[in-house]
Amino acid sequence: MIELLMTVFSATFFATVIRTATPLIFATLGGLISDLSGALNVALEGMMLIAALTAVIVSVYAPWYVAVLSGVLAGALLGALMAFFHLRMKADIILVGFAVNILAAGGTVFALSQATGGDKGTSINLTSKAVPAVDFPFLEPIPVVGPTLDRLLSGHSILSWLAALTVFAVWYFLYRTPHGLWLRGVGEYPAAPEAAGIPVNKVRALSLVASGALAGIGGAQLAMFNYIGFTRDMTAGRGFIALGAVLLGARHPVGAMLAALLFGVFEALSIVMPNLFNWIPGELIQTIPFAVTILALILFSYRSQRARQLKTLSKI
Amino acid sequence: MNLASFGREAGRAAAALVIALIVAYVVVLVTSQDPGAAFTTLLTAPLSSNRTLGLWVDDIAKLTLTGLAFSLVFQARQFSMGVQGQVYVGGLFAALVAISPMGATPIAIPLSMLAAMAAGAAYGFIPGYAKARFGASEIVSSLMLNYIAIRVVNYLVRAHLAPPGTGQLMTEPFPPTAVFPAIIPGTRFDLGIVIALVSVVIVWFVLYRTSWGLKLRLVGHNPKFAEYSGIRASAIMVSAMTASGAIGGLLGAVFVQGRAFGKLAIDFDGNLAFEGILIAIVARSRPLAVPFVALFYGYLRQGAQLMGIRTDVPTEMISVVQAVIILLVASSFTVPGRKALARLLRRDEAPAGAAAGVAQK
Repeated sequence: MIELLMTVFSATFFATVIRTATPLIFATLGGLISDLSGALNVALEGMMLIAALTAVIVSVYAPWYVAVLSGVLAGALLGALMAFFHLRMKADIILVGFAVNILAAGGTVFALSQATGGDKGTSINLTSKAVPAVDFPFLEPIPVVGPTLDRLLSGHSILSWLAALTVFAVWYFLYRTPHGLWLRGVGEYPAAPEAAGIPVNKVRALSLVASGALAGIGGAQLAMFNYIGFTRDMTAGRGFIALGAVLLGARHPVGAMLAALLFGVFEALSIVMPNLFNWIPGELIQTIPFAVTILALILFSYRSQRARQLKTLSKI
Repeated sequence: MNLASFGREAGRAAAALVIALIVAYVVVLVTSQDPGAAFTTLLTAPLSSNRTLGLWVDDIAKLTLTGLAFSLVFQARQFSMGVQGQVYVGGLFAALVAISPMGATPIAIPLSMLAAMAAGAAYGFIPGYAKARFGASEIVSSLMLNYIAIRVVNYLVRAHLAPPGTGQLMTEPFPPTAVFPAIIPGTRFDLGIVIALVSVVIVWFVLYRTSWGLKLRLVGHNPKFAEYSGIRASAIMVSAMTASGAIGGLLGAVFVQGRAFGKLAIDFDGNLAFEGILIAIVARSRPLAVPFVALFYGYLRQGAQLMGIRTDVPTEMISVVQAVIILLVASSFTVPGRKALARLLRRDEAPAGAAAGVAQK
């Protein structure tokens, strides 16, 4: 137990949390934007997976930032595909989302075997690149706190810093710009913005595209920093956990980030625990993030349900 | 459903299939060294031998059951995606009965099926209860439960149920009394297909001939209206997910006790459970349509498996076909050319067409 506490309060564990939470933060923000616009995006999982593979394959031939951008583009295109079938062809958004997930689960294996010449498991024989980590060597000389600061802040993926920035940007967009108001209005009560002349479907379509783009960055971080290279089904439910994090974060960007960090902590725990407790089977440790998601979802839903009930009671 | 709308749905499904196959053909053409052979294998290989025919029938049985499980929750407009997890817990409990001393007795098959259904029902009940009682999204919780079930079952098989010291990732074969008897000897044509077809009739009867089924469909159509008419929508919702879980669990038993396995192995479902989404969507969640969709889709699925084995195109290519079919069938897509044809016909015989239109109304 003491070893576990020591591990949890170490700088390496902090780095692991940031690393595991970064794809989740992006995916959760993506889920948040489409959810607020009134379209539940269950395809985050598939979008991340396809973006991860796209980024890995492009990174063989191009610099890392081009690879990340191509992942973003892949996610955005999938968002546009969903928007087309949901808004133009009137298909149920959840079914469209699962179509994307099914396409991703099989399509990435198919594309991977094409790209590697028959390997269906990993991209291990592709020389893919990584997203660089950012170091702050100038923090080290600061007296007293310098070395600690350096250890806490250095070595994170550049995309982790982008994630923090994106949380702020999404918050600013949603709550401080007129277009953010449009987006929230469209999700809240589409008839009102419709009457005010706001192009409701266009707002929804763009939200889905943005949602896909954000999930795409998450996928790129996953395959170009957390792991270097692509493995089949490497997202392993992260897109669905992000969906839970949207709800858990009270549909607010900062809440979404906190929820994603929470799930990041538990994923990090499931990474460090096998080394500490080799008597607990690995499969059971792997279930921790999923079990925590269910419990957190139930607790949070229960609380918000209670809050709603109290509100209606006080009105009477 | 009347005959005209049935014909329209069947036409839409067929058109979606044709478009999906054209897309698949283009993909094969671009990626394969020998596209002709690959595509021919996809379309004809399931008929090539008794063995492959048996595999096809086996797939029809399993796809029918997963399609039924999804249809039941979709009819209640619950997007519970937990069939995969239910298959795993169902398979686990069926296997526990089969390898226990009871497995060697004549009651092994019914008993293990019951155990599997009870386990699946319990696993389906959890997301339903969490939604009804706490308002927790059933999509997220059921998906999480899938991941948990797969890992726990895989762990139990690896560490406890496999014969120790062999490093095998499966249990010992079940005693013959616990394995489904073959209907045609030497093939995988076994009790599974009978179970699947009986389940179709039962689900149809329950949905369309009992008051519970009527309530369930009402809740699916309009939950508010159902509440106002005195139906406890949340109770119906939970019971629908529980019943669907029982079917999922039964599928688990069909998996492990079928002649294809006859034992419990890790990762045994081969992602088949999720393909029930496609079956249910194309069948419009109608139980009686489910086996027919499973028939066609099972053929395509087996064709893809054999294509993966016999040619240079991987089996996973079929996911393109799956996605295109779901997207087209779930959307307001109509059979191409129908509108144009109707317009042409109308122009040719405008007065007659107008008269017919009036008569139809």
